[in-house]
Amino acid sequence: MGYLLAIDTTAGTSVALIKDGRLLAQSQSELGLKHAEQIGDAIASVFAETGIRPRILDAVAVGRGPALFTGLRVGIAAGVMFAEAAGAKLLGVVSHDAIALSLYNLDGNLPNLPLLIHTDARRGEVYWALYGGLDENGIPVVLAGPSVGKYHEVAQGLRSEFGEFVDRTGGATADWVALLAELQLAAGGASDDVSALYLRAPDAAQPKPNQQFGKRVSG
Amino acid sequence: MVKVSIRPARPSDLNLIMAIEHVCFPTDSWSEESMREELSSAHASYFVLLADDLVVGYGGLSKVASSDQSDIQTIALSPSVRGNGWGKQLMERLLEEAVRLDARSVFLEVRADNPVAQGLYEKLGFAVIDRRRAYYQPDGVDALVMCLDLTGRPQRQPIVLGIESSCDETGVGIVRGGTLLANVISTSMDLHARFGGVVPEVAARAHLEALQPTLHQALAEANISLDEVDAIAVANGPGLAGALMVGVGAAKALAVGLGKPIYAVNHLVGHVGADVLERGQVEVPTIALLVSGGHTSLLLVRDLIDDVQLLGETIDDAAGEAFDKVARVLGLKYPGGPEIDRAAAEGDPKAIRFPRGLTLPKDMEKHRYDFSFSGLKTAVARWVEVAQDSGQEFSVPDVAASFREAVVDVLVTKAVNACLDHGVPRLLLGGGVVANKRLREVAAERCAKHGIELRIPEFSLCTDNGAMIAALGAQLVMAGRAPSALGFGADSTLPVTTVQTL
Repeated sequence: MGYLLAIDTTAGTSVALIKDGRLLAQSQSELGLKHAEQIGDAIASVFAETGIRPRILDAVAVGRGPALFTGLRVGIAAGVMFAEAAGAKLLGVVSHDAIALSLYNLDGNLPNLPLLIHTDARRGEVYWALYGGLDENGIPVVLAGPSVGKYHEVAQGLRSEFGEFVDRTGGATADWVALLAELQLAAGGASDDVSALYLRAPDAAQPKPNQQFGKRVSG
Repeated sequence: MVKVSIRPARPSDLNLIMAIEHVCFPTDSWSEESMREELSSAHASYFVLLADDLVVGYGGLSKVASSDQSDIQTIALSPSVRGNGWGKQLMERLLEEAVRLDARSVFLEVRADNPVAQGLYEKLGFAVIDRRRAYYQPDGVDALVMCLDLTGRPQRQPIVLGIESSCDETGVGIVRGGTLLANVISTSMDLHARFGGVVPEVAARAHLEALQPTLHQALAEANISLDEVDAIAVANGPGLAGALMVGVGAAKALAVGLGKPIYAVNHLVGHVGADVLERGQVEVPTIALLVSGGHTSLLLVRDLIDDVQLLGETIDDAAGEAFDKVARVLGLKYPGGPEIDRAAAEGDPKAIRFPRGLTLPKDMEKHRYDFSFSGLKTAVARWVEVAQDSGQEFSVPDVAASFREAVVDVLVTKAVNACLDHGVPRLLLGGGVVANKRLREVAAERCAKHGIELRIPEFSLCTDNGAMIAALGAQLVMAGRAPSALGFGADSTLPVTTVQTL
C-alpha cells in the first residue's frame, strides 16, 4: 500500500502521514478550538518533516465525526480539497471507530465486554457508539451507533439490549484514523463517503407566516 | 486539430517521460531513478507538453532559492512532433517559470553538434558565453554554454483560484491576472427559504457539500487543471464564522497540497475588486456602496490593496435583511428583494411616506454615512397592522413601492453625499441588492445629476462570488505582496482596512 494522509478535527486538530501501518509523521494539537487556524500548518508540517511530496499520496482519509459541527467541517473541507490537490483518493472514517481501534490496540486491561465510546456533544448529551471487539481484519465491530443522546438514557437502553459493557471516552487522533482507513482498504471495505456525521438538525426555528416586529400598537 | 497544452509534470508522467528520454538521448539518457528525483525535487520545476492529452515532450528548470540564476536542466520532444514550434512553446513556459521564481538569468548547455536547438535558443535571446570541451560522453562532443538575461521581463499574469464562503453562496472563481476565467456559484438560498432568512448552520453545511462540485465546475469552465494555479485566495471575513471556516480550511489544504502561496483577503474589498474583471483595474479614488443581505457599507477606496476606509455601515439590519423581513410582513416569499421589486412595479412609491433612517439633522451629525433599516421595517409592519386591524383594504404594491423607495433613497443619498463630500467623482455598487432595479435607476439618475461616474459590475460579479476574491488575490500577487502565513483564521468582523490578513 502507498502513502496515506489522515485528517481529524473532531477533537483537536490532528494530521498524520502513514505508510504500510507505519506512522511517518503526526501533528497533534490538544486544543479543541482554532481548527481553521491550525489546519494549514498541521498538514504542511507532516510533509515538511518527511520531505514527501503530496503528489505521491495514494489516499486521504478524513474523520467524519460525530463531533461538534464547526471544527468537524474544517477537517473534512481540508481533506476533500487536499485529495483534489494531491490527486489522491478520498476516504471517510467514523471518528469513534478510530477511537475504538486505538483502545483495542493500546488498552491491555480492556474487559471482554462490549465497549461504549462516548464524547461530549454539549447540551448534556454525548456522541456514542458501541463496539464488540475487532473482526478478522482487525477492524472494530460496530454493535450500535454512532448516535447522540443523554448518557444515562443511552446507557440504560444499551444495558437492556446488550447487558454489561465497559465505557470509555476519548478523542480521535489522525494516526488511528489513518490506520483504520488502511485496514479498511486492505479488507476491501473502505468508504468514500466523507459526509459529516452531524446527527442533529440545524438549530433554526421556522417563523410563523405572518410574524411581525416590535410591540403591537393598540387600535 | 491537435490540442497542445503544457502543464507541470507529475510523478505519474515518469514512464512516458523516460520513453521520450531514451529516444532523444540514446547514448547518455538519465536513469529512471535520477529522473524520478528530478521530478520530485524542490529546486526543480518540470513541465510536460501534451498533444491531445498525450505526453510528447518535457523540460525542466532548476532554481535554488538563494541564487538568482536558473538553469534549463533538460528539454526533449518526441521526434514525431518536432518542427511545429512546440519546443519553443515549452521553452517559453520554462522561461516564464524562471521569471516567476525571480531568476535574473537562465543558463543552458547545448550539444555543439545540434545547430537546430542552438538556433531555437538564439531566437529566444540566448547567447553563447562559453564552450566546454568533450562535455558530452561517451560521444566526446563539446557543450556550448548559453545564457539569457531576464532582468526587466514582466511577470506572467498569475492564475489565481479564489474561494468565497462568507454567507450562503459557495463561490469558486479563477482569474488570470485581471481576466476572468471562471466564476461558479452554488447557492443554498432555497434551503433558507422556509426560515425566512439565512441560517448560519444551514449555510455552513451547504458549503461543505458544495465545495468539490463547485471546484470541479470552475476548473472545467476555465479549462485548466489545478497544477496550473499559481496562488489560492480565500475570503476570511467579514461574514458568518462557521461558513467562513469551511472556505478557509478548504483553501489552506489546496494551497499546501499544490505547494502554492495563499492570500487571505477581505470579502468586502473583494466586492470592490470585482471591477478589475470588467475594466482591467479599479479606477480610484472611488466610493463603494456594498449592499447585501449581510452588509450595508459605504467605503472610500483610494487604493484597492493599500487604502480602503469604512465611511459608514448599518447600525442594525442590512438592507437585504429589511427586504426579507418586509416581504414576510406582506406575505411575499424569500428572498424578499426580487419579490418586493415585482410587487412594487405596480405600486406608487409616494403612496406612503415611510421614515428614512439616520437622515434627520441630529442623526446626520453623528451618522452621516451610517444606515439604519430596523425602524423602517417596524414602521412598515405597524402600518400594515393598523390597516389590517381597521379592516381596511390596502395595496400591497403601494406598500412595497413606498418601502423600496425609502431604502433606495437613503442608500443613494448617503452614497452621493460621500462622493460630493470627498470630491470623489466615482461610485461603485456591489452586493446582491444591486439586483434591485429601482436602486440602479435612482443611482443612475442622481449620479448623472452630480457628474458622478456610476459603475455597476455584471450581477454575477456583484453577488457573493469567488472570482472577485481571486481578482483581489491576483492584484496582491502582481503587486509583489508576500502571501499570508498559514495560521490565519476566519474573522467574522474583519475590518475593511485589513485588505489582506498576513
